Amino acid sequence: MKHSLSSLLLAAVLPVALVACAPSEAGTTTDGGLSGKLTLTGSSTIAPLALEIAKRFEERHPDVRIDVQTGGSSRGISDARSGLADIGMASRRLKDGEIELTAHAIAQDGVCMILHASNVVASLTDDQVRAIYLGEIENWSEVGGEDAPITVVNKAAGRATLEVFTKHFGLDEKEIQADVIVGDNEQGIKTVAGNPDSIGYVSIGTAEYSAGSDVAIKLLPANGITASTASVGSGSFPIGRPLNLVTFGEVSKLQRAYIDFCRSAEVHDLVTGLYFVPVRTAQ
Amino acid sequence: MPEPTRPLVSGATLGAGRHGASQNNLADTVFGVLVWGSALAVTAGFLWLVGEIVVSGFGAISWEFLTSEPASSGRAGGISTILVATLGILGICLAVSIPLGLGTALFLSEFSQGENRMGRFVRASLDVLAGVPSIVFGLFGNAFFCVALGFGFSILSGGLTLACMVLPILIRSIELGLRAVPNDYRVAAAALDLSKSRMIVRVLLPAAAPGLIAGLLLGIGRATAETAALIFTSGYVDRMPESVFDSGRALSIHIYDLAMNVPGGEANAYGTALVLVGLLLVINFVATHLVERFVSGRIQSA
Repeated sequence: MKHSLSSLLLAAVLPVALVACAPSEAGTTTDGGLSGKLTLTGSSTIAPLALEIAKRFEERHPDVRIDVQTGGSSRGISDARSGLADIGMASRRLKDGEIELTAHAIAQDGVCMILHASNVVASLTDDQVRAIYLGEIENWSEVGGEDAPITVVNKAAGRATLEVFTKHFGLDEKEIQADVIVGDNEQGIKTVAGNPDSIGYVSIGTAEYSAGSDVAIKLLPANGITASTASVGSGSFPIGRPLNLVTFGEVSKLQRAYIDFCRSAEVHDLVTGLYFVPVRTAQ
Repeated sequence: MPEPTRPLVSGATLGAGRHGASQNNLADTVFGVLVWGSALAVTAGFLWLVGEIVVSGFGAISWEFLTSEPASSGRAGGISTILVATLGILGICLAVSIPLGLGTALFLSEFSQGENRMGRFVRASLDVLAGVPSIVFGLFGNAFFCVALGFGFSILSGGLTLACMVLPILIRSIELGLRAVPNDYRVAAAALDLSKSRMIVRVLLPAAAPGLIAGLLLGIGRATAETAALIFTSGYVDRMPESVFDSGRALSIHIYDLAMNVPGGEANAYGTALVLVGLLLVINFVATHLVERFVSGRIQSA
């Protein structure tokens, strides 16, 4: 229904635009020519990014309006399926029951363990991390470090990184024995940088940026894979999730243009601005 | 502040006949400590909260912040579009809920005295509605106003959903205000051969003004602070709304989004929270002032 409306609008506007442009430069029509309205709903993690990209897209295509709404990943998927939204947003992989939908990753979000830069421990296995967060290992000497009690830094309930972390390590939020609870990534990094015996986890983009600007933290590898935006971008880093745009059925010209724009290098500054990792598109 | 202590003191005096004096003194002291303690705890909590918002948010506030559009997911720029959308949502909510609320409250208190079945039914449904979580109103508003009536994500849908949400509070407090008016007023008005409508407009409403103000302020407070009911109805778009059919982001949603979803959004989240608190104070002041003027004018002429 929405597709037919937008193509109708396209049909109505296009001739006028062409006539208007004809005497001056025909070249401008290659960039323009898109018009209509897109509605996006879904993940509140993606929404700020999708909204900023939409603003930039609207600047380039003045006849296009993109409304971004939130409501959570599940809503994004059900709205995309029912047609209430032209594009859904889901900050997770599609499940088996959702194969009729198409996911278009626009960014990656990775989470890594961080320690103070002076800590001699170079890596931890998943089991060790789990035991530390369950309070079963309480001293760094038990995992090859110095004799010092471990300060466990955890995220506040409701944080996306907490979800990714607990899911990867098979932990129950309520079982975690935390010494410090932090809110955002910045706070997590400052806490670990200020306490030589602490362990925490944060979004990789933020951690890499801080470690690169001389903050006293180090990023731990996971399953032997270096924690970096590069390994997240290539998909090899195990702790993370894709930020997906989701479509159902045939993709209209406008949908295609917006999705391609979201995946293009032209919006990498917006993606990294929200501490996500841009996708590497072919070419 | 002195009001809550009064019934307790009289209660203690009543007990004096049954118990010894020393026991009585002890009870008084314990009561006094408890009463003062709770008053202090509540005040301290309030001051701490407001203090935190003012201290953390003051740096973000400027004329620029109030008059420019948000940029970089709200971390830069201001909140002009969000203020406009919030006022639009609130305006629609009040324009719909005040007449409806007043009418229903009058029905309940003046037209359905005693054991009227209709009155009992309306009252029971209002009490149930008042306890419904706001997210349920949000989902209802989304299904009804956005989808079934076709208003889509819009300021109109948000305002109407909020109206549904604040109506129970508004009606019940106006009704209580009306019931608190002594029956002598009604009898006197009848003796003077005032028609029912004249009696209501000239006598009852001015006399019930405190209830009206309380209901109005509770309703406005609840509406302005609402997040869950609005995220599915008025939506998330932070563009300047051009009509009530456009989606617009409310202040509370902006605060939530900056605090939860946007890294580095804390400063502007506090700034927006400060604006929200300020806006509430201004609205409360204006509403109280308006109703008082209306009342004093009525009572003098009547």
